[in-house]
Amino acid sequence: MADKSQHEDKLLEHEYDGIREYDNPMPRWWLWTFYATILFVPLYYLLPHPFGEGDGNVAEYEASVAAARAAMPEQVAPTVTDEQLVALQGDRAVLAEGKAVYETNCAACHRADGGGLIGPNLTDDAWIHGGSPTQIHHTIAVGVLAKGMPPWERLLRPEQVNAVTAYVLSLVGTNPPNPKPPEGPAPATGT
Amino acid sequence: MSTHVDTFSYDDAIVRKFLWATIIWGLVGFLAGLLIALQLANPIFNFDISWLSFGRLRPLHTNAVIFAFAGNAIFTGAYYSTQRLLKTRMFSDGLSNFHFWGWQAIIVAAAITLPLGFTQAKEYAELEWPIDIAIAVVWVAFAINFFGTIARRRERHIYVAIWFYIASIITVAILHIFNNLSVPAGLFKSYSLYAGVQDAFMQWWYGHNAVAFFLTTPFLGLMYYFMPKAAERPVFSYKLSILHFWTIVFLYIWAGPHHLHYTALPDWASTLGMLFSVMLWMPSWGGMVNGLLTLRGAWHKVTEEPVLKFFVVAITAYGMSTFEGPMLSVKSVNALAHYTDWIIAHVHTGALGWNGLLTFGMVYWLAPRLFQAPLHSKKLAEVHFWIASFGILLYVAAIYSAGITQGLMWRAFDETGRLAYPDFVETVMQLMPMYWVRVVGGTLYIVGACIFAYNIFRTWQARPKTYEVPMVSAPPLPAVYVDEHPAPVPAGAIARFTSAGWHRRWERLPTLFTVMVVVAVVVASLAEIIPTFLIKSNVPTIASVRPYTPLELVGRDLYIREGCFNCHSQMVRPLRHETERFGEYSKPGEFVYDHPFLWGSRRIGPDLARVGGKYPDLWHLRHFEEPTSLVQNSIMPGYRHLVERELDFDGIQARVDAMVMLGVPYGEAVRNAPELARAQANDVGARIVEGGGQAGMETREVVALIAYLQRLGKDIQQAGGVAAAPGATP
Repeated sequence: MADKSQHEDKLLEHEYDGIREYDNPMPRWWLWTFYATILFVPLYYLLPHPFGEGDGNVAEYEASVAAARAAMPEQVAPTVTDEQLVALQGDRAVLAEGKAVYETNCAACHRADGGGLIGPNLTDDAWIHGGSPTQIHHTIAVGVLAKGMPPWERLLRPEQVNAVTAYVLSLVGTNPPNPKPPEGPAPATGT
Repeated sequence: MSTHVDTFSYDDAIVRKFLWATIIWGLVGFLAGLLIALQLANPIFNFDISWLSFGRLRPLHTNAVIFAFAGNAIFTGAYYSTQRLLKTRMFSDGLSNFHFWGWQAIIVAAAITLPLGFTQAKEYAELEWPIDIAIAVVWVAFAINFFGTIARRRERHIYVAIWFYIASIITVAILHIFNNLSVPAGLFKSYSLYAGVQDAFMQWWYGHNAVAFFLTTPFLGLMYYFMPKAAERPVFSYKLSILHFWTIVFLYIWAGPHHLHYTALPDWASTLGMLFSVMLWMPSWGGMVNGLLTLRGAWHKVTEEPVLKFFVVAITAYGMSTFEGPMLSVKSVNALAHYTDWIIAHVHTGALGWNGLLTFGMVYWLAPRLFQAPLHSKKLAEVHFWIASFGILLYVAAIYSAGITQGLMWRAFDETGRLAYPDFVETVMQLMPMYWVRVVGGTLYIVGACIFAYNIFRTWQARPKTYEVPMVSAPPLPAVYVDEHPAPVPAGAIARFTSAGWHRRWERLPTLFTVMVVVAVVVASLAEIIPTFLIKSNVPTIASVRPYTPLELVGRDLYIREGCFNCHSQMVRPLRHETERFGEYSKPGEFVYDHPFLWGSRRIGPDLARVGGKYPDLWHLRHFEEPTSLVQNSIMPGYRHLVERELDFDGIQARVDAMVMLGVPYGEAVRNAPELARAQANDVGARIVEGGGQAGMETREVVALIAYLQRLGKDIQQAGGVAAAPGATP
């Protein structure tokens, strides 16, 4: 670049429809920033991740999954018994939480009153995947992928799964209007 | 030197026509934007009418603003300035008028076909093939007219504004033609020549450079004419013009892949997209620097002159969005911003600020000259300026916060290692207050535009009975060029290079100049296109990936017709929160039969790449009938018309045949696609009845769409495919 003062605001000869142009040099900060962004290219390939390219998206992803696993060892949900789940029905706070979880996640397919819509009726005695409290808990937690029932333990905390199980148990026998016909066997032990 | 002098006049009638088209289509495009903004704030504004739904109108808004509003603004300014900068009338008044009426006819065709659902599903290239051909024809007519004008010029050298017009005209033609190559499957239906990863690459090579060569370079051309004219000041730096022009033209082309970070596009392309975007920062800012520094010594005029106010804020908005662009192209920033409203905010800084305000300023400057009457009210122009600026501020502030909020919610984990917001709709609900603020901001901008239209209309009313046509005199160019002010040629190669004498020579040889532009654009394009198409390892084959069945294919076409891709992506990125939320990340080999690709660019609803098998068929049926019956607070409109309309089974064969032409191995479906489709439709219908749904669905459009959705993401779970991630969340 030539000396700044020498070039400052020197008009060029040419003119277009009255428009003139100065022979000013490019601003230094502009030029040097441009050079810096060009220099960034080789640097990016040379520097390690996270400043540079690293090993690529998939490798980064796999590393992040491994790191998350290491930081958060597989949690085994505490086992619950039939008795505990039945007992939870007596806890109003738990039932209220179960109702909230149910309305957000379950009502879409099982209807708000549990009468069944896309998913089966939850208010009758018939249970496709077993009607004991722990069996229902298991169905909710693990899901039935083939039928579109998601594994809720991945979304809900263990106590939420318990609470919604308790709430579902409380729906049995409520006889809502226009229920879906019973599906699956009724428990052998009867009601 | 010849003493002969030509006397001629400029064609301002064509400029007036384009000016009115700019104003009218501007209002239409802005109002379409307001309507779809309302639809996001409350789905009631979809009115339960298929052709007014968000998925159909969103492309209408973008096309109207880009090609109708900004397009006509470019033509207004280019037709006015080109004639004056080259000291000649346009090459052909007939071509000028063909260009004008042809372009308006294309816009009308777009305004009719897009709401009807005729779309290629490629952003800003939605228009179907007959309209694409019309665009090519009209564009070529414009090019002939423009280059013919250059050939007849009476000014030896071409000014920087003309450089930018040349780059725009040439590059838009190349982009348009190569991105729209497709095989027709009917009068208003076609399939992209490219599939999956390659189609995505071509689309964003086009899409990004449509931003560059339709919304940036032509407007820089306008700025280089109207800014010094309005400020009555010389341009700050000729050398800066040269460097930032050529670096923009060359570097922009490479940057397209930054729209596809973390997708199934190969890493090397994504990285090039990022690095070239970063290098683009200063070339883009070169325009801002030259624009703003042209005002040196004239800043006092800005306080009195609304035209300059519009220009200053427009150029500032340009500077902000061209800083933000490189920033968003950095992969780690993009991981947060992609699919969110951040991108929407970014483009509106550009469109409302840079394109909109520059256009308003230009029209305020032109109106008194074109209508030969003083501007009706300078005061109203000031009011417009303040309302529009405030409207933009409200709009972008709201939508930036919406984008960042949602991006952070998507990636948040709680202390148990579960997604903090597993319910997608919850993250949408958070945005509602911001969506309403956007509606207010957009409304203010439109109020400003109405004041603008009124002001120009009143100016026009005060026009003389007949326009005066001033005659201009200029000597024709002598056959041989003689440099009357030969600059000394400095010694030394570097000094010779920086003295820019070589460039001065190019400026008097427009053919050479144009060839150099073509070389820059083509070399940069091929550097990425050739490896994308030729390197096989870019798209590793997955044996279990099969073509869509005929029913799924027509279902996919319904997905395209309804514009589902405007709200739903089909691309799970290899990011932990995405695989937790949606399932196994998407592989390049999964899309080899996707003509066109449907990865999407915004997640207003959840990703659908792995939706297959997640819900029962009946769930989908009920969801299409009334989304909120299953998903409380969903903002998706209902699609009852899909349940009511009969599916055109007989039309499926033509679709399959077109796919076969593209090399998709269809096997026996080549002969009996409708029968195969009917059989599969009956299965879906039976499953719906079995689940407790209504009978008779097997003949309706909805079964095809359900069949398609149930297929999505399933192929790699078959034997021979890639093992699925251990239990993804629903």
